[in-house]
Amino acid sequence: MRSKKPVAAVAVAVCGSLALAACGAAGGPSAAGGKISNDKVVLGLLNDQSGVYKDLSGPNSKVAIEMAIEDYKTKFGDKAVAKTIEIVSADHQNKPDIANTKAQEMYDRQNADVILDVPTSSAALAVANQAKAKKKLFIDVGAATTALTGKSCNKYTFHWAYDTHMLANGTGAATVRQGGKVWSIVYPDYAFGQDMNKSFTAAVEGAGGTVQQSIATPFPNDNFATFITRAGSTNPKVIATMAAGGDLINFVKQFNQAGMKDTTLAVGLMFITDIHSLGVDQFAGTTFTDAWYWNFDAKNRAWADKFKAKTNTRPTFAHAANYSAALQYLEAVQRAGTDNADAVVKELEGKDLNDIFLRNGKVRAADHRVLHDAYLAKVKAKGEVKQDWDYEKVLATIPADKAFGPVSVDCKM
Amino acid sequence: MSAFVQYTLQGLAAGGFYALAALGLAVIFGVLGVVNFSHGACYMLGAVAAAVLLDVLHVHFWVALVVVPMLLFLVGMAMERLFVRWLLRLDPLYNFLLTFGLSLILVDLVKRRYGVSGLPYERPAGLDGQLQIGGLGLSTYQVFACVFSFVICGLVWLVLTKTRVGMIVRASTEDAERTRALGINVGRWITPVFGFGIALAGLAGVMAAPFRAVTADMGSNFVIILFAVVVIGGLGSILGAVVAGFLVGLVEAYGQAYAPTFAQVAIFLLMAAVVLFRPAGLFGREETA
Amino acid sequence: MTQPLQTSDTSGPPDPPAVPEDLSTSDTPGGSETSGGHPPLFAGSGHSPLRWIMLAVGLVTALALPWFIYPPVAMDIAAWALFAISVDLLLGYTGLLSFGHAAFWGSSAYATGLIATHWGLPFPVAILGGMLFAMAIAVPIGYLSVRRTGIYFAMVTLAFAQMIYFIANQLSDLTGGENGLQGIPKSFFGIESVETDSFYFYYAAIGLILLGIWAAWRVVHSPFGRVLVAIRDNPARARALGYDVDRYKVIVFVLSAGLAGLAGGVFAISHGFASLQELNWTTSGKVVLITVLGGIGTLWGGVVGAAVVTMLEDWLASSGFEGTGIILGSIFVVIVLLFRRGIWGTARDLLQRLIDRPRDRGR
Repeated sequence: MRSKKPVAAVAVAVCGSLALAACGAAGGPSAAGGKISNDKVVLGLLNDQSGVYKDLSGPNSKVAIEMAIEDYKTKFGDKAVAKTIEIVSADHQNKPDIANTKAQEMYDRQNADVILDVPTSSAALAVANQAKAKKKLFIDVGAATTALTGKSCNKYTFHWAYDTHMLANGTGAATVRQGGKVWSIVYPDYAFGQDMNKSFTAAVEGAGGTVQQSIATPFPNDNFATFITRAGSTNPKVIATMAAGGDLINFVKQFNQAGMKDTTLAVGLMFITDIHSLGVDQFAGTTFTDAWYWNFDAKNRAWADKFKAKTNTRPTFAHAANYSAALQYLEAVQRAGTDNADAVVKELEGKDLNDIFLRNGKVRAADHRVLHDAYLAKVKAKGEVKQDWDYEKVLATIPADKAFGPVSVDCKM
Repeated sequence: MSAFVQYTLQGLAAGGFYALAALGLAVIFGVLGVVNFSHGACYMLGAVAAAVLLDVLHVHFWVALVVVPMLLFLVGMAMERLFVRWLLRLDPLYNFLLTFGLSLILVDLVKRRYGVSGLPYERPAGLDGQLQIGGLGLSTYQVFACVFSFVICGLVWLVLTKTRVGMIVRASTEDAERTRALGINVGRWITPVFGFGIALAGLAGVMAAPFRAVTADMGSNFVIILFAVVVIGGLGSILGAVVAGFLVGLVEAYGQAYAPTFAQVAIFLLMAAVVLFRPAGLFGREETA
Repeated sequence: MTQPLQTSDTSGPPDPPAVPEDLSTSDTPGGSETSGGHPPLFAGSGHSPLRWIMLAVGLVTALALPWFIYPPVAMDIAAWALFAISVDLLLGYTGLLSFGHAAFWGSSAYATGLIATHWGLPFPVAILGGMLFAMAIAVPIGYLSVRRTGIYFAMVTLAFAQMIYFIANQLSDLTGGENGLQGIPKSFFGIESVETDSFYFYYAAIGLILLGIWAAWRVVHSPFGRVLVAIRDNPARARALGYDVDRYKVIVFVLSAGLAGLAGGVFAISHGFASLQELNWTTSGKVVLITVLGGIGTLWGGVVGAAVVTMLEDWLASSGFEGTGIILGSIFVVIVLLFRRGIWGTARDLLQRLIDRPRDRGR
């Protein structure tokens, strides 16, 4: 008698689920992608909305994208191909696994035609894989890894803003040219840090400088005192840190505490939000490479004023780059006449593009690396700061053709 | 050689934070039997409070060193009264879990209110630059951190050995039943002792504010290292917590200086070794399993 | 001084809940005491029809889930459920809180991923490989850890898990380090629908999860399981009765690690991804949270807890709400303070009482 019960239970279960399945609506196997997906263009924004990069990009990037949509509609009016444009956004919390899941969901469930932003290299690589699998576009703004245009490059992925090459070519070479010839590099021992160490060593030595030490630190880490001592022990002119985010703030604070007056601090990766959170005096005099600065010229300022009116804060390069990526995507859709991924990709590859973010911009067809002018900047002293977020003094413009590295041998599209 | 002295100083300075916070953790465990998972969050609260007070009320570092621990003392007492006390009669694992939950809430509350990029904190006047001691340039801040932690630990030690409440704390730590049997109302001291432990964590936080990024997450990995510290020192031992704190700081510093790949694992290897071979810790008494 | 998860001391500050804090009213086989004195509803060996109804409902839900919930999320719920059940096997039935179980979930995720990526074997084989790897590392860890109990056990497991996390970070050539192991294929005998569509993949993989849950259930409802409960309640007595307590603990630890590894392997294949997050202590914390939320010592509580936490996180992430930790932490605090039986445990007890009351009235 007892032995029949489990069999009966399973039978009920199977029938029940088939019945339920027949009624189910929300899930189900994914439909094949349509030609013009659901009569609307869906822009997906996937970034960090609650963690370390929230202020860098975060929810305000949605505003930037909305500004792009507005400008697109104003430019093309009734002739716009994309009549209905929607934005969907999600928080990946800087975790690659969440980014992976959210990207899949955006492409499949929310019918996103393109995903934008995605800071944090590991997350970006995950989304690049998804873009390749789902055959939909991914324009990365926030991540640094050159693997996006290297080993993980694919037809649907574009790297829009900065990468480790740009940072090294900028800060590294320029600092050497300014007299900082002898370096000690302190880098976090993971893929990004190792990448930065390699790029910076090559750039410094390429510009005629020498790197005395490359010191690996654990990642993450909040106590750099011993590493700073080691770096300083050979008396370099420049100590460079490749730490990012919270680790960078720790490093800078501890570097300043160490009181090494004759040594300059070079920062591999720095955002305007880091200056804001640490305070200008902690960073005073530091040179770094910025992809875009709001107070650089009148055009940027005008856009930054529009941005400030909507968000009450000044834009970072990420906001400007997301605006640019969204705008250029929409214009590519306009040119292609459809939002079909392959057609749009053709309208982006090899094109020369210009907007407030992309100065002398070009989409390199071989690896989908977007080239544009970059800027060597220096953090102002406290007295020089005239208004909120006015932290940078642009020392030089690094032209687009010099700012980025050559096409990687690892990229096989 | 001078580098070695630098590393030693750095190790003792970092160890000072661990020692102070671990002292709080050990006192709480000794008297209440609670392993306070939220100790790291309280350390973070101390740093955040210092940063906020500086920003809003222009309270300087030296004043914050006194004010913030008092604030956290109140916070600790509130935590005990509202949450911890209900589970004191149960298996200590419940309070371990409870304080874990509380730490999640505290960290997220700070994130919501102050964001994640970290709060700025100016270098306090007088702690800049270097001191010239015996021909070596030593960071003033680190010398201060080191000396200050020693002094506070010493003061706490005096309180524990020379005052009545200190005696009660030590007695309860050793044997709560017997202490009660001797007519001492241990229960009356539970709340203040918890508050005191939290205050010590907060003090460590204030000390850290000029030196570390003041972010909502700064306590999350800190608490894991604290666990290693109190286990190495002996969960029930107050002296052990302090010694182990400085020891772990040194291990970290020397590890980072001479064998960076192993630096992070070293502390946990040490912890595992202690638990396996000398389970009571370096200074603790043997637990009856 | 360290006692198993029950309270014997009732003096002191009042406990808010009215029911005694005795975990042995969980799914212990052979029946247990209830308030009404009737054979309990959920007795393991019982002929109770309700039990089979619940089982049928559970199976129906498991099989129909991807129709209502986005399939990858449904797969996550299933994986976390098995993970939580593996933790409950240790916590609720043996009285050992492991705060480092992510070591097994995560290392299996990586092992599975590496097997699938480099050898292209069908994913069930890769997952099996991951599971065996997790069990292999659980042997030394378990052997060393079970010498301690209570909080010490929790801390030792935490320490070992941290070591594995750092080792995985160091071996970044193998594991991908911070970037994680990307692009893990879902190879399944060339059946394209399973390999590309997460909906069909769910059905291919859910069998593995159900197998794991069944295994846990079998362990609990077996003589071995009874010894575990005896060890939980009074290790000294169990030892006096001649049971090699440490050996039993190691065995259940390895079994639990295997189940956690099975879950981790499914998770890795489902996401096509294994990251250091899977080894991080916060993942260990999350699964403990899920287990407690569902109900310690209830086994099925893990399923409930996993569903609640996964869907809550997913919903919060999509709605842009910033306080996931506040919500989860608050729910957790409330559960630990007031509903120590967890969601499932409390619901089941209420159901029990509701059914007992009319019976009582009928007397």
